[in-house]
Amino acid sequence: MNVELIDLTRRFGRTHAVAGVSLQAGPGVFGLLGPNGAGKTSLLRMMATVLPPTSGRLRLLERDPGSLGPRRVIRRRLGYLPQNLGYYPGFTVTEFVEYFALLKDMPPGRVPRAVAAAIEQVGLADRAKAKLRTLSGGMLRRAGIAQAIVNDPELLLLDEPTAGLDPEQRVAFRAVLRGLGEWATVVVSTHLVEDVGAACTDVALMDAGKLVFHGTPAELIARGEGSRAAGDAPLERGYSAVLAAARSAAGTRSATETRA
Amino acid sequence: MTAATEAPARPAPARASRLAPSLSFLRLLRIELRHNAMPWLLPLIAALFWFDSYRPSTGMPPLYVLRTFWNMGQGHTIIDFGPFVAGVAAWMGSRDGRRRTADLVTGTAWPRWTVQLATWAATAIWAVAAYLVFTGAMFAAYAGQGVQGQPPWWWVAVGAAAIAAFSAAGFAVGVLWPSRFAAPLAAFGGFLAMVMSSQTGFHESTGWALILPTTSNGNFQPDSGLLYPWLPDLPIARIMLLAGIAVAALGLVGLRAHGDGPRLRRLAAAVTAAGIAAAGTAVGLAGTARLSADGTVIPALHDAASDRPFGYTPVCGQAAGTPVCVHPAYRRWLPDVTAALGPVFSEVAGLSGAPVRAAQVGAVYDDVDGEGGQAMTIGGRPPVLSLPLGALQLAGAFGGTAAVFADQLRLLAVHAFVGAGTGVGTPAQQAVQAALLEGAGVPFAAQLLVLTTTGLPSWAQASGNGGPGPAKGPVYDAARRLAALPAAARHAWLAAHLAALRSGRLTLAQLP
Repeated sequence: MNVELIDLTRRFGRTHAVAGVSLQAGPGVFGLLGPNGAGKTSLLRMMATVLPPTSGRLRLLERDPGSLGPRRVIRRRLGYLPQNLGYYPGFTVTEFVEYFALLKDMPPGRVPRAVAAAIEQVGLADRAKAKLRTLSGGMLRRAGIAQAIVNDPELLLLDEPTAGLDPEQRVAFRAVLRGLGEWATVVVSTHLVEDVGAACTDVALMDAGKLVFHGTPAELIARGEGSRAAGDAPLERGYSAVLAAARSAAGTRSATETRA
Repeated sequence: MTAATEAPARPAPARASRLAPSLSFLRLLRIELRHNAMPWLLPLIAALFWFDSYRPSTGMPPLYVLRTFWNMGQGHTIIDFGPFVAGVAAWMGSRDGRRRTADLVTGTAWPRWTVQLATWAATAIWAVAAYLVFTGAMFAAYAGQGVQGQPPWWWVAVGAAAIAAFSAAGFAVGVLWPSRFAAPLAAFGGFLAMVMSSQTGFHESTGWALILPTTSNGNFQPDSGLLYPWLPDLPIARIMLLAGIAVAALGLVGLRAHGDGPRLRRLAAAVTAAGIAAAGTAVGLAGTARLSADGTVIPALHDAASDRPFGYTPVCGQAAGTPVCVHPAYRRWLPDVTAALGPVFSEVAGLSGAPVRAAQVGAVYDDVDGEGGQAMTIGGRPPVLSLPLGALQLAGAFGGTAAVFADQLRLLAVHAFVGAGTGVGTPAQQAVQAALLEGAGVPFAAQLLVLTTTGLPSWAQASGNGGPGPAKGPVYDAARRLAALPAAARHAWLAAHLAALRSGRLTLAQLP
């Protein structure tokens, strides 16, 4: 298993951003859905080894990221696109991707070809020499994706990767995801359920720091069938139904605890 | 985007060679150098350097020790660079915080500390290279102007170390406080540090304060690089301090690098501690410094070979028939020296102990006399007058004029002749000194003014009663009586009483 989380928690003061998540994922595209504040970004940051868990066990690429050596090996084979992509405005697209390729410990001789391939893959080849400050929001997102995939990661973590992409780019990006998912574990955190339907082999839904659903997109669709959950598409209805059920169960539990 | 089918098949992981990390670091450094903010400020620093460091120095006589006293000795080259370098380094250090790239960088295989060190290194390389280029250009200009002596290379090294320390400290400010205000804060802090360092250097001329890089106390000796080498003791201690500050600051950066794990944090803590220890040791070493004839000596760092004076072939002239020889670098002042000493030699010609030759000696910084003031001496058989020209206010140096230089030469020569040594002298010696000076062309009315000029030993101030005024009192009354005698009678009286005068046994009442 490339990703193995057991009872993983992360607290920020009194807030439980992630509250006891257990999950396993192998190669394929794994969609992580949930409303704002559900804990998706915190979970992804822990998987990206930039945020240590408060408790629980985390194994990535069959290694423990808590130790220096294994963490370095994981990071070499990791691609990460944060939700708020920071960038250096004066860098060109090529320099930006090359910079992160070098930081990912790629052999220097392989870097130029890998950089060109990654830029080509995200469709920015014609803007490779452009400074990042001159790019549109969608292009910046693609440059961010290019730096994430430049090292051919075995574990690719993408936080809202399609935000800012136009429909044509999103369709193309989903195809890229499917291709990467053939041999890598790609975890995609998103609000856009259509991305999940089109690209993911597996999906999990988070709410209030907890995992409230884990299954295939078809299973999520099935949860919405016959319910009066809101949504224009079957996947959206499934999403809403699971969330409503989870919140209702949580409310019942809370009321029971209060009465007790 | 390209369709998934065009995505490359998963390549076999390549094994990096042993050289790969250094190559990768160099490539990273190349990118950082290309995108560093330092070059943008270099024109401004160049202008400041020109106006503050170079231009004022050109008014000084063409000796390295004088030309570079302001810009290297008092550290103005450091002052011109330091605050800007600290500001730019803070700007670069705060980059990941301002640009929100911290997560991206932390999630890569390289320790974040290493990545930050690459960013700092690019800033430091630009700053130190610019410092060396600007200073090199200044020295090249000096060489073109025929400036004499050995350039103060040790002080260039201190300057370069100071720039590196400013960059490291500024960078640490940026990392620890990643905001857009970090840069102005660091620049202001750098400026404040320079002001405080300069002020402390003016007030504290010994002990730990010698470590401050903007104080010239003790090591910018009057004849450093001319008659003896620049002593490296104090520069080494200062480099140690500045390197310690740089290392400690960079260690602090590592302590702040989240995501690097406890082992690297411990290493960063050890680096910080080592830097602090080095800086503390340097301050301690400066506390053991003592002034020697040719500069500041720190016993633990001193190499006796550095004390060996330079050999040279003097250039000579004649003053009233007496040969006067100086170091070739002082050739331009030789006519002033012979013209000034001629009347004195004429006054004492034929008397016992009158010098048959005058020769330049290295000026010695005396912490009792301060300000480089040094008496002349007459010694040897036949007697030779030693001329510590470097200790005097040379014409053209620090506002000195040819007239003041000539008066000082006459005063010191006569003072040595009457046997007053390094003290004020007895009243009789003071009176004979005043009478001889009158005869050598320094009127009584001007003598108190001469005694207060900069560059003379402390006894001059003391015998001048603290300031210029009318030459009166028993000493000047006796001096006037002696000066009023015909030259032959005065000469005869001196010949008869010189031994008693020099031994201090003669009283004012015994003067004619």
